[in-house]
Amino acid sequence: MNEPSAEQQTDTRELLPTATAPRTRAAVRELVRPHRGLAVGGFAVMIAATGVGLLVQPILGRIVDLVAEQRQPGDLTLPVVLLVLVALVHGGTTSLGLSLVSRLGETVLAQLRERFVEKALRMPLEQVEKAGAGDLTARVTRDVSVVGEAVRSALPELARSLLTIVLTLAAMAALDWRFLVAALLAVPVQASTARWYVRHAVPLYAQQRIATGAQQQQLLDTIAGAGTVRGFRIEEEHTERVTRRSSTAVTLKMRGIRLVLDFYNRLHVAEYTGLAAVLVAGFLLVRADSVSIGTATAAALYFHSLFGPVNNALVLLDDAQSATASLARLVGVADEKTPEPAAVQEAPAAAGPAPDGTVTVIGIDHAYLPGRPVLHDVDLTLRPGERVALVGPSGAGKTTLAKLIAGVHRPTSGSVHLSGSPTRGNGLPVALVTQETHVFAGSLADDLRLARPDATDDELRTALTEVEALDWVEALPDGLDTVVGDGGHRLTSARVQQLALARLILADPPVAVLDEATAEAGSTGARLLEKAAGRAIEGRTALVVAHRLTQAATADRIVVMEGGRIVESGTHDELREGSGPYAALWKAWSGTRSASDEPAAHRAGADTPTVKDAD
Amino acid sequence: MSTSSPSGRDVLRESIRGQRRDVAVGALLGSGHQIGEALVPVLIGVAIDQAVTDSDTGALLICLGVLAVGYVALALSFRFGAMAGERAAARAEHTLRISLVRRVLDPGGGAEDGRLPGVLANIATEDAKRVGAVNMAVMSGISALTGILTCAVVLLRMSPTLGLVVLLGTPVLLWLGHLLSKPLESRSEAEQERAAHASAIAADLVSGLRILKGIGGESAAIARYRTTSRDSLGATLKAARAQAFQSGVVLALTGCLIAVVALVGGRLAAGGSISLGELVSAVGLALFLVGPLETLSWVNAELAQGRASAGRVAEVIATPPAIAAGGRGLPQPVRGAVRLTGVRHGGLRGVDLDIAPGELLGVVATDPAHANDLMRCLARHTDPDAGTLELDGIALRDFDPAELRTAMLVAAHDADLFEGTVRENVAAAAPDGGDPEQAMAAAGVTQVAQTLADGEHTPVGERGHSLSGGQRQRVALARALAAERPVLVVHDPTTAVDAVTEARIAAGLREIRKGRTTVLVTTSPALLAVTDRVALLDEGRVTDTAPHANLIQRHEAYRTAVLS
Repeated sequence: MNEPSAEQQTDTRELLPTATAPRTRAAVRELVRPHRGLAVGGFAVMIAATGVGLLVQPILGRIVDLVAEQRQPGDLTLPVVLLVLVALVHGGTTSLGLSLVSRLGETVLAQLRERFVEKALRMPLEQVEKAGAGDLTARVTRDVSVVGEAVRSALPELARSLLTIVLTLAAMAALDWRFLVAALLAVPVQASTARWYVRHAVPLYAQQRIATGAQQQQLLDTIAGAGTVRGFRIEEEHTERVTRRSSTAVTLKMRGIRLVLDFYNRLHVAEYTGLAAVLVAGFLLVRADSVSIGTATAAALYFHSLFGPVNNALVLLDDAQSATASLARLVGVADEKTPEPAAVQEAPAAAGPAPDGTVTVIGIDHAYLPGRPVLHDVDLTLRPGERVALVGPSGAGKTTLAKLIAGVHRPTSGSVHLSGSPTRGNGLPVALVTQETHVFAGSLADDLRLARPDATDDELRTALTEVEALDWVEALPDGLDTVVGDGGHRLTSARVQQLALARLILADPPVAVLDEATAEAGSTGARLLEKAAGRAIEGRTALVVAHRLTQAATADRIVVMEGGRIVESGTHDELREGSGPYAALWKAWSGTRSASDEPAAHRAGADTPTVKDAD
Repeated sequence: MSTSSPSGRDVLRESIRGQRRDVAVGALLGSGHQIGEALVPVLIGVAIDQAVTDSDTGALLICLGVLAVGYVALALSFRFGAMAGERAAARAEHTLRISLVRRVLDPGGGAEDGRLPGVLANIATEDAKRVGAVNMAVMSGISALTGILTCAVVLLRMSPTLGLVVLLGTPVLLWLGHLLSKPLESRSEAEQERAAHASAIAADLVSGLRILKGIGGESAAIARYRTTSRDSLGATLKAARAQAFQSGVVLALTGCLIAVVALVGGRLAAGGSISLGELVSAVGLALFLVGPLETLSWVNAELAQGRASAGRVAEVIATPPAIAAGGRGLPQPVRGAVRLTGVRHGGLRGVDLDIAPGELLGVVATDPAHANDLMRCLARHTDPDAGTLELDGIALRDFDPAELRTAMLVAAHDADLFEGTVRENVAAAAPDGGDPEQAMAAAGVTQVAQTLADGEHTPVGERGHSLSGGQRQRVALARALAAERPVLVVHDPTTAVDAVTEARIAAGLREIRKGRTTVLVTTSPALLAVTDRVALLDEGRVTDTAPHANLIQRHEAYRTAVLS
């Protein structure tokens, strides 16, 4: 999968919303509320488990005392049996507590990701495109996995470590409050270390992610294009590119490792401070007869056993921090209001009883960026069942007009009306198929059923027959059940587009817009696809953006666009007979001139009004 | 990696040998750290014995001093040892990655055949990392062994009985824990995979968002995703329960070991064979020992993974080249006469074709698969099954393939663009001092640049994906033209370009390639119209060669291929 890297996103983009910290917390509370019982139960069990685990040190201390008091060896049996009991109960309760906490975390996570996906899929394309498709993709891949990983491993571990720390300190206070004071001497060192670490680690890790992403991208670029690289003899340059990216990644990795190692070094200082303080406290308290040697031993052992959980908790703080940031990005999207599907403006009821499938475009102007208009005052009416081809040079505004009609964007001024409300198919008023190819991961039948979930296998087969895909589909290892898409059976782009057209048939909308839907296949493949496309739009009002004129020639009407305006409109024969741009185009295309008649190509160019205002 | 076909073992050995200094330093310092860590519980015991029990201030100060020195030593050796190990790992990984890329880009080719780019990239990142990590594993393994040895010496000197209990008990504990959790682990791995499925599906739906919305499939997709997510949740919960159970078992077993040590140690202490402090030390050491033993099992797993990864790396590096490579240099100057005699490959059944120097020749294949076969032979991606291809009378297979490509450029239909600006892409293979402007004008890139935010300095994005299909094709064509090779073969360069632009490109192409051999493998009439001659490739043979207009009149097959 091509995940556009975050670095490409310029800051001028309106990124998708990110939730504020209070809103993120509120969202988490909302998600947890239905599972309050589970939350309380889980943490109660964890507290109990940790508490039981902390009995080990005093029992060991008791054994030391028994030995110091020179009691019978038999007296050791009871504390040892207690140790075994503690171990079993500790193991059992920890296991129960961990599984309850995971259940809570995982359930909440699943709800969050479902809500996120729902909102993401319902989000208007206009908004997604403004933010750059990479933003949404990054959230759904990286952020979901960061939060998931945190819930899966960091959350239970962090809960356990924090509980252990708090309860151990409490237990030390219970032995004698002065032990607690001694242990707390380590806290300032640990706190400043943690702050120092997070301050340096967060930006460094962000850099690392970018560098690793860039390296991966470069490798894919170079390896996927190996044939091209060899053909153009640019092997050295590409090896150099990979080396540079890889070296950057290595340098950043080493910087990260140095940071972590310095972090541990500082923690070692904290460990020493605390341990020395506890030993001194034990020494003083035993000398003053305030505590027994066993108690002093228990305190020292308590502190020694804190090393692990403290290190864990501090390291996990980092994970927790990045998980929180990811969570805010997920909640930001999940909180979005679902918009009315009003991108397509339904005709007002007053518009009269226009027949189903009429598209009326009135006086549309459109600009993606203020001051850079792409369409000027476009009027166009598609009659029900009419097949209109849109032709013109790149940059003429064909795709923009197609997107406006399909309801992807709202025009800057002017309006698009669709008559009637769709009552057939899946209720979609206008379908849009572009040259973008994507097969959804899963079985081929599932892929098709996205367009109509209740379609029977026979209906799927009928649709596939229409686009001449049934033969190769049946020849796949598992026919309709063959797993396709990422990680599944690979399909050529021509086949992928056949499936897209089959989905169009299943969705069965009254109006269809095809934007160069057949362009990705080679020239021979294109012919096959054009036939399939013709079949797919039968019985619908259709706007076809065509770059191959043969596709235009078969349309009911051809509309020629240049510089954001409609410059010509008529049937193939009318326009061919005329002297406009289409006639010149057709001549160049059909090869009706001889090789020596070369100026014709230039004429086609000369007759074309300048495209300088096309963008 | 100088050996021609290294095995996985060679790769592994070479990767450690390359970093032997860092690995040795790391192992030495790491061992120092382990000794230090092992001595901390001992020192706690000594402090209790010497200072706390007897209330001896002097002894306490000495103990604290020794503890401080120990801490400084262990902290520093950890810091520098781990640094050396990690450096070795990172450098080995880097070196391996570069050798893999060199192999993939080798003029003889072959390494990428039958392997998806994603898989190869994964080998160059993940597998290289695992092989590199073996350096760290070796270093950690040596250190852990030292730690265990230290522990053993201290404990056995203290009391052979107690020493044996700890030294035998700890591995048994780990083994039991492993045994109990092994079936759980393998099950939970599969379940975690299923759990990860939900994220993958979500990403898939989002990357197909436009297509999904185009056909109104949002509701269906949301409903389906909910099912997937619930399925995943079920699997995840099972995996989490298994993991929780495993943690619980390890905790309970560790607790039991401590109880046994306490029992044996307590009895020995009560009997006076060991001191109180030694009892405390023994308990501390038993807990410490879990660390290096766990490290050892981690090292074991790392080595196993490293071996598997090294195998995959070696397999790529040892792939034989796809073509026979000669060593001949180019004739000076290259005239550009290309001759195919009886070429058989795939669907080609004896292609004979004579291309004169400086000619602009069209090739129309009635079956697109045959066009691909022809391209593969011309590009030297493969040797033909039979027959010969020649440049200026010398068989292509006799040339050094890298040399040959400086004379003859074969630009595939799906040629990739690379990250960089439009201009950088066009100029990628242009001769020094060459002017890409002309090529950009001829291929219609100048026009593309006008519509882009930063003109020809606009980045094309990864693999050119921020451009449209038609824009990409034009940039790729401009790059091929800018390379100014004596012989140029292009395949379907304008399939995604609109008709107006295509006609302009045809004229520009003819102009810029004047006097140099150019072959256009295409069925586009606009391009064929500007060629000198067109060869019709039908049923795997060249059945006729004539100007475009003549072939249109003469052959039904030609008309179908070109005009329908």
